[in-house]
Amino acid sequence: MVLLYNLVSTDKVRADSTHSTSDTDQKAMLVDVTKCIGCWWCYAACKNYNNLKETARPSPEDPPELSPDCWTTLFALPNGDGWSFRKQACMHCTEAACVEVCTAGALSYSPLGFVAYDPDKCIGCGYCGEHCPFGIPRLNGNSVTGLQKMQKCNFCEERVSAGLQPACAEACPTGAITFGNRDTLITEGKKRVGELKGEYPKAMLYGENELEGLHVLYVLQDSPEVYGLPENPQFPIAATINKDIIGPIARIAWPVVAAGLALNVVVAWFRQRRHGEVH
Amino acid sequence: MELVERYTKRARWFHWLIAAVFIELVISGMLIFIPWITSDTIGSVTRILHRVGAVILVGAPLLYAIFDWRGAWEFIREGLTWGKEDLEWLKAAPGYYFGGDPRMMPPQGYINTGMKLYRVAIFGGAVFFVITGFIMWFLKGIVPAAVFQWCLVLHDVTFIVAICMFFLHFQLGVFHPRMDESILSMYDGKVSGMYARSHHGKWYEKVAKNNNKEGSSST
Repeated sequence: MVLLYNLVSTDKVRADSTHSTSDTDQKAMLVDVTKCIGCWWCYAACKNYNNLKETARPSPEDPPELSPDCWTTLFALPNGDGWSFRKQACMHCTEAACVEVCTAGALSYSPLGFVAYDPDKCIGCGYCGEHCPFGIPRLNGNSVTGLQKMQKCNFCEERVSAGLQPACAEACPTGAITFGNRDTLITEGKKRVGELKGEYPKAMLYGENELEGLHVLYVLQDSPEVYGLPENPQFPIAATINKDIIGPIARIAWPVVAAGLALNVVVAWFRQRRHGEVH
Repeated sequence: MELVERYTKRARWFHWLIAAVFIELVISGMLIFIPWITSDTIGSVTRILHRVGAVILVGAPLLYAIFDWRGAWEFIREGLTWGKEDLEWLKAAPGYYFGGDPRMMPPQGYINTGMKLYRVAIFGGAVFFVITGFIMWFLKGIVPAAVFQWCLVLHDVTFIVAICMFFLHFQLGVFHPRMDESILSMYDGKVSGMYARSHHGKWYEKVAKNNNKEGSSST
């Protein structure tokens, strides 16, 4: 029965639920694309702090892609004579598909709001990456044997828990990445968008309500697509089906079928005995 | 006592191999849903075991078809040959399987309609498992994420149905009082003449006729 019970664990504690800390304790990062100069210090600081393999100095013409050794990078877009940049990494959703489909319990909701990750528990199934609305998680290892391990930004969990900022935020020299309480950052972000609106009518704050609220917020000058962000990211319906429908169906169907078949044997046995077919 | 051969040695070995692989796939597949078992190491091992099982599940029938393509073809043909008698089986089945008068069931061939349905179901199930499994194993990151997501859903739905079919197969083969020679026949390949006549009347007639012919020609 434990087996059946565990088929679907719908009781993952959401960061915004009453089981957890209140909204005022939620941490977040605010990324202001207008202040980003593309220095890649966030990228380097992430690699340095997390001991990730270093690569050649990145350039906007050939920006590094997210990989098991690259948890944060810059999305570069031509802008007049130069470039604009948007920091790209895990968005730390409040309603995170990766957490919901992770059967190993490697991904979980931190009480501080971000999506925590314990690589020791990861079995490398890759369901997280296939369900992430932003396509962030990456697998290393051998896909034929399935001996793999997922990697993604973990919000510098140890640093944040110890009261420090994430390495990328600390490294940012222009204030394009700020770390703090989510509520405060939303207020700041809205204020900044208000300042930009005159010159850039499409300016917006991204992440306030997307997927029940992201823990990486963006001040954008233009619509999200321009920065490689989905306008309206969705929790995949297949994840909901796997989580809330398939498990319960199995838990009902199997005992019902087994009981029906057992009943059939009993009835058949008694009736056959009555007319002397079994003894 | 008269004994009739029902399953060749190759068919019986094949049956038990597939049975073992099925159980192995069920266990290694279900473990992924139990977080406290799927730690790093065991989780990886079960995923390798699931892949090994999948290779055998695909490879064994192909090998069988190479060694005995006639038998393999017959297996498929029998399952796909449907007629008016199948409707009569369906009508008589509830009473028959709930221990009613066995004479209400019209004489059946080598396999009856229920067995045909089962063959179609396990074949269809295997196709679903293999296609969705192949995509998730080899095409992860190549096909769009939505394709992967729905393969996962389909793989799981097929699994739920497959377990129900397995329960039914197990119940009929092992526990059902009317199929009292079923499990033994998958062990030694034979059923009694009486069982053959009452359960597979049309087939028994054919077998008996052949036996008579052989008997008379040898004298």
